[in-house]
Amino acid sequence: MTAKIIDGRSIAAQIQQELGQRIDRLKDRGIAPTIAPILVGENPGARVYYRAKMKLAEKLGIGYAGVELPAETTESELIRRIHELNEDKSVHGLFVELPLPGGISLPDISREISVGKDVDCMNPASAGPMVSGGALSASYRALKERAGVLLPATPQAVMEILLASGVDLAGKEIVVVGAGAVGFPLALLLLREGYSDVTICEYKGKPLTEVVLRGDVICACVGKAHFITADMVKAGAVVIDVGVNPAEHGITGDVDFDKVKEKASLITPVPGGVGPVTTTLLLANVVKAAERLVL
Amino acid sequence: MTARIIDGKEISAGIKGELRARVSKLAGIGVTPGLAGIMVGEDPGSLAYVRLKQKACEKLGIHSEMLRLPGDIAESDLIKEIGGLNSDASVHAIFIQLPLPDHIDESEVLAAVSPDKDVDGFHPVNIGRAWTGQTAFVPAAALAIYEILVRSGCNPGGKDVVIVNADDLVGKPLAAILVQGKNKANVTLCDASNPNLASHTRRADILVVSVNKPRFITADMVKDGVVVVDAGSNRVEDTDTGKVRTVGDVDFEAVKEKAEAITPVPGGVGPMLVTMLLANTVTAVERQVSD
Repeated sequence: MTAKIIDGRSIAAQIQQELGQRIDRLKDRGIAPTIAPILVGENPGARVYYRAKMKLAEKLGIGYAGVELPAETTESELIRRIHELNEDKSVHGLFVELPLPGGISLPDISREISVGKDVDCMNPASAGPMVSGGALSASYRALKERAGVLLPATPQAVMEILLASGVDLAGKEIVVVGAGAVGFPLALLLLREGYSDVTICEYKGKPLTEVVLRGDVICACVGKAHFITADMVKAGAVVIDVGVNPAEHGITGDVDFDKVKEKASLITPVPGGVGPVTTTLLLANVVKAAERLVL
Repeated sequence: MTARIIDGKEISAGIKGELRARVSKLAGIGVTPGLAGIMVGEDPGSLAYVRLKQKACEKLGIHSEMLRLPGDIAESDLIKEIGGLNSDASVHAIFIQLPLPDHIDESEVLAAVSPDKDVDGFHPVNIGRAWTGQTAFVPAAALAIYEILVRSGCNPGGKDVVIVNADDLVGKPLAAILVQGKNKANVTLCDASNPNLASHTRRADILVVSVNKPRFITADMVKDGVVVVDAGSNRVEDTDTGKVRTVGDVDFEAVKEKAEAITPVPGGVGPMLVTMLLANTVTAVERQVSD
């Protein structure tokens, strides 16, 4: 069997369409939702994301107040800029592009971002609503509708892709490979659907193949090109590739796409899978943060 | 094979010994650890538990004080009281005894505690730090289970750990420690309602259960050589004698014949809970002193 390829761009376009109406309503009330991404230094990867947000913001009619700082910016200077943007009433969403240059501690700057403007949940304080409230007390769908709750963009993108593709998670074996900044929050959101049955595995653990092979749904968040090979995937599995790894031409995912797609039932490509949905949801969070002002 | 019975009391005593040494080291620099608890209303169960915490503090040389507030206190007044403790330098650690009366929003109150003094690990900042691998306070139950595994020689590293409980106090924080700590494990979180539950529990190298249902885990649900940590606590009446006793979530007699190691109830996780609160308290003092 050859998998159906999930079209992340078309899922993103659907979300963007709904977003357009919400942006119009805000503008009717005199609010122009605005994002302020901060780019420190000249990392080419970080600049790609920075530009992607700028392009999409422009397309959607979201204000863009990007801040570019030189690579030699100190941590205290960066924190001062974050504080200024926290105070700036014309900015609704705040975001620091990664990776940061050496010498700046990510945990130290993350906790300075105001929770109300923290559109990618970089501040640990933003994780609260995602984690707490009992395993099944609010489904993912109910949680994301809740006013003022911002969920991190990448894990949310995976959830939206699964929902938009009609994947029923109830009773499924879900395996999240990689327990980093994406894998963890993703596991938390997945726990809210179905029967709370999620395996989180770190690739240093037990023979990984055995664990991943159990997955009806496999989410790869490892950060290593072609890490998930066809022998790790059970026939008919749904495979979501969160990886973004540099390749000879552009980027490639964590999944050995060409071979795995012959075994899976559904699969996301890289590029064109999780990425476009993530960028869209980051901007959707800016809109949500701005909506808080008129509720 | 008959399982090795893991002695929670002995592990707890060992940890208390280490804490005593840390407390006397703090005394050497003139610092007495201070733990403050807030209790709202008159729930007798809560009161008994709070007394247990205070007694344990006393034995270790930790100063404890209890703020008892009327059951009809306004939320804003309660938060004001917490603010007072947050700014009191002699109070290094704060816990709010749960449950709170219905008219009070628990999440608002827990978020009012300074994250640096939040030794129950309930503040959103501590939850977020735990999930992102940063230094955090972790709820006592999760910490207790982790310490039991490590100190009884059942290192979770590289093991298939199945946790039947996906709540905020046990399942989620324990998963956070297990996947991010030194001893990385593969962790499956299952809710007790999962229809495929037995297929998960049967493949577990380490099975952790906290559902508060007596005899929920039966011998046919575990594999030979499993390590079982039973964090359940249920009061059941013996049909023959009419006596009430405390049992866990595991059919202990039958499961211990298959397991490699198992915690009993009582005498397993229970004795560790207050000890881990004290451990978090001493850690809070040390962090505040070194800042």
